[in-house]
Amino acid sequence: MNREVILKELEKIVGKEYATNRSEDLYIYSQDPGASLPRSVDFVVMPNTTEEVQAIVKLANQEKISIVPMGGGLTLSGLIIPVKGGIVLDMKRMNQILEINQFSRYALIEAGVTTGQIISHLNENFQDLQPPIPDAPPSATVAGNMLIHGSGYLSQKYGGHGAMINGLEVVLPNGEICKLGSCAVSDYWFDRGPIPDFIGLFISAFGTMGIITKLSIQLFPKPKMRDIVFGLMNSPKDIPNVLLKITATGYAEDILLGMQDKPEWMKGYIFIMTYITGDSEEDLDRQRKTLKRIYRKTNARFMKPSEKMKNLYLEKPIFAAGAADFRKGGGFEYVGAFMPLEKIPEAYEKGADLARKYGILPTLGSRLIGGVHTVVMFFSYSFNRADPKDMENAREALHETNKLALDLGGIPWKSELDGQKLILERIDPSYKKLMKTFQNALDPNKIMNSGNWEVN
Amino acid sequence: MELNLEQDWKDIVHRCFRCGYCKFTYEFSDFNCPSYKKHRFETYSTGGRLWLIYGLISGEIPWSQGVANVLYACSTCGNCTENCRFDKFNDFLVDIIEAARAEAVINGFCPEKQKALIERIENSEMYNPYGEKNSDNEDLKKEYDLPDKAEWVYFIGCTSNYRQKNLRDATLRFLKKTNIDFTLIDEHCCCSPVMRTGQINSVKDFINYNIAQINNAGASKVITSCAGCYRTLKKDWLKFGADYDFQIYHTVELVKKLLDEGKLKFISEYNKTVTYHDPCHLGRHMDLYEIPREVYKHIPRIKFVEMKRNRENAWCCGAGGGVKIGYPEWSVEISKERLEEAKITGASVISSVCPFCKTNLSDANIKFNMNFEVIDLIEILDNIEFEISGN
Repeated sequence: MNREVILKELEKIVGKEYATNRSEDLYIYSQDPGASLPRSVDFVVMPNTTEEVQAIVKLANQEKISIVPMGGGLTLSGLIIPVKGGIVLDMKRMNQILEINQFSRYALIEAGVTTGQIISHLNENFQDLQPPIPDAPPSATVAGNMLIHGSGYLSQKYGGHGAMINGLEVVLPNGEICKLGSCAVSDYWFDRGPIPDFIGLFISAFGTMGIITKLSIQLFPKPKMRDIVFGLMNSPKDIPNVLLKITATGYAEDILLGMQDKPEWMKGYIFIMTYITGDSEEDLDRQRKTLKRIYRKTNARFMKPSEKMKNLYLEKPIFAAGAADFRKGGGFEYVGAFMPLEKIPEAYEKGADLARKYGILPTLGSRLIGGVHTVVMFFSYSFNRADPKDMENAREALHETNKLALDLGGIPWKSELDGQKLILERIDPSYKKLMKTFQNALDPNKIMNSGNWEVN
Repeated sequence: MELNLEQDWKDIVHRCFRCGYCKFTYEFSDFNCPSYKKHRFETYSTGGRLWLIYGLISGEIPWSQGVANVLYACSTCGNCTENCRFDKFNDFLVDIIEAARAEAVINGFCPEKQKALIERIENSEMYNPYGEKNSDNEDLKKEYDLPDKAEWVYFIGCTSNYRQKNLRDATLRFLKKTNIDFTLIDEHCCCSPVMRTGQINSVKDFINYNIAQINNAGASKVITSCAGCYRTLKKDWLKFGADYDFQIYHTVELVKKLLDEGKLKFISEYNKTVTYHDPCHLGRHMDLYEIPREVYKHIPRIKFVEMKRNRENAWCCGAGGGVKIGYPEWSVEISKERLEEAKITGASVISSVCPFCKTNLSDANIKFNMNFEVIDLIEILDNIEFEISGN
C-alpha cells in the first residue's frame, strides 16, 4: 500500500481526527526534548481502545511498518522517535482509570493515564493512598515510567517502579491480546504470580515485545506527615557509609543525593535528602534526631534548608524539568545508570571530571532503589537546543558517560541507541541469544520499535 | 521584563522543553488547554506550538497553512502561562504565539476566516470586527443625556455595542445612576481581535485615534465592561508604544470601589444560585480574580458557588484568540464544557464580566439546551435596586 492508502486504513481504525501524516505533526513527533537527532516519522496515530491498537498492529504487520508506542514522550533518550520510520502510536487517549482497589491496593489503568492524572485522582478520591511518582513532569504516563523500569518517589522504600507492576494487558506483535499476571487467571489484578512471570519481558524492552494497553500498578498507604532531613558531605567517599546507616534505620521513604557546582555555595558538597514520614510531629522529630546523629557520625552535616528549598523537593512530582532550564537553552538529557553502591563515590568523581572535560557544569545526582540494592546515578547535561554544536557536545558527553557507567559496573538506564549498542557489546552472549530468540518468536517481521535492542 | 515583539521572542522560544505542565490545571486534575484537549496531538499543546515556531525560526520547517492552522487553533487563554514553570519565560508564551501569528500574516498564511476581522476593522464604514456600520454613539449620548466632555469615558467595546446591547445599556444605566461624570466617544475597535490574530499593521493608527478621542473628551479615566478591551487598553496599547495619561477601569472595579466607600448599597434581593466564569482577559491576563467575586457576594440573598476550575485554573470560554471566528463549532464546544462544569455546582445562573464570554456561553447554552441564565454582572445589577449616595 502507498502512504495515502495506509493513512486511510489508519483513519478507518481510529477516526480521521486521530491519524495524521501532516508535516507539522510529523515534525513534532520526529524529535524529543533530549539530545537525539530528529528521525523521520511516517504517521502518528492515537488509538482509544485495545481493539484499535490491535487493528493498527495487524496493519503494521501486514505492511511491515515499524510501530513505536509513545507515552509522555519524556524519556529524553529518543526511545519514542522511530529508528526506521513508521507509525508513532501516541497512547494518551487511552486514559481511563478503570479501578482503584483499596483492599489489594492497586490501580488498574489504561496505558495513556498520566502521572498527574493518577496523583490528582487519588488526592481527590482516595486520600489514604499514594502512587509511585517518577522524577518527571506530570505529563509522563504511568505506563511509560513503569515500562522503562523507572524510579522516583517511594523507590527507596518499595523498590523500582517496574517491580510495582502487578499485571499487563499487552497487544503482541501478531495482534493477539494477552493478559499477564494474576489477571490471566483471576478477575483481580493484584499480583504478578504465582505463575511463570513474563511481565519482565516487557519492561525496559522499549516496545519491542508488544504494546501495553492496560496495567495494574501497586499503590501504597499515604503517611500523614512527611519531611526531609537535609545533610551535606564534603566527599563522595562518605556516601556508602552514610547510606548504609540511614537505610538500616528503616526510616527513609526516599533518599536523594545531589552535587552541582552552581550556585557557588553548593560547590564542593554532596547534598543528601532523606525523606521521612510519620503520624505526628513527635514521630518525625524522633527520626530527625536519629538522622542528625547519623549524619554527624558519618562526616555529614545536618543542614537546615529554606522552606522554599524544602517545598521544592516535597512537591510531587518533583520539578525535574527545571534542569532543562539550567542554561536557559531548553535542552536536557542525562545518563541515568543503575549502579552498585560501592561504585557511587567513583561515579561522582569521574562524572564531574567528565562533565568538566566537555565544558559542562557538573550536575550529578542519585536516588536509592529498594534500600541500597541499586542506586540510580544521574549524570546530567543541559544544553542549548538552538546551538547544534552544543547539542553535539552533549551527545558526545552522554556517550562517554554511558561507557563510564558500564566501566564502573553500572548499566545505563532507558538508554538511547548508542547506549543500547554499548550494553549489547558487553552483555553475556547467551543473554543476547535469548533476546534474539524472543524477538524472532514474537516479532518475526521486526515491526516493534525496530532498531531498538537490535541483536544481530 | 517586556518582550520585544521585533526580536526578543525569537531568542527565547527554544527554551521550551515540552515538559507538558502547560497542558494541565495546577493540580493536574484535567487538561486545561482547550486546544490540546481537543486535538490531543502534541503539536497542539503550547509546547508543540513553540517547537513549531522554533522550527520556523531555525529554518527546519517552512511556513505552511498546516503550521499556521496549529498556531491559530489556540484561544490564547493563558493557561500555559500559569502552569509553565520556567520563570521569565512563562509570562511570554501567549505573546510568542501572537508574535508568530504576526509572522504568519507577513508570510501570507493568516487563515481566511480570521482575515475577515482586519477587513472589517479597517473598513471605513465599520471600524469593528462584526461588520456593522460604525456607531459614532451620538444617539446614545443624546438618549442618556451625556456631555461632550467629561471626567470618564465609557469605552463600550465592539461586542457590547454591536452584539450585547443589553450589557451596554445596563452599563450605561448603572453609570448614570452612580452620577459619575461620563461620556461616550466615537470609538473604533480597540484592536484586541486583530492583535490576537497577528494582524497588527494598522493597530497603532487605531490606538492613536482612540487615544485622541479620549483626550478630546477631556477624560482622565476610561471605563469599560469588556474584559478584552480592558486588557487591550491597559496592557497591549502600552506594548504597542501608546502614550496616555488616563486611567483604565473595568466596571466591576468601579462597583467594588463604590461598595468599599459605602456609596453603593444594594436594596433588593437576588434569589438565585450564581456561578462566576473568570474571563481569561481579566483573570489570567490581568490578575483580576477577587474583585468580581467580592461584588457578587455583596448582593443580598445571592447564593454564590464556585466551579471546580476557577481563578487561575479556570477553563476558557473558547471565544478568544480568533477561535470564535476561526473555529465556530469548536468554540462553542469549549463553552459547553464550561456549562457542564457549571451544572455540577447547582447554579441556575452563569455570570461573567465580559461580553465576549457571555456571547459564547450563551451560544453554547442555546445550542446544547443547557437551560442556564447567562448574564453579565452588570446586567444583574441592572435588575436589582440599589442606592447611590455621596457622588
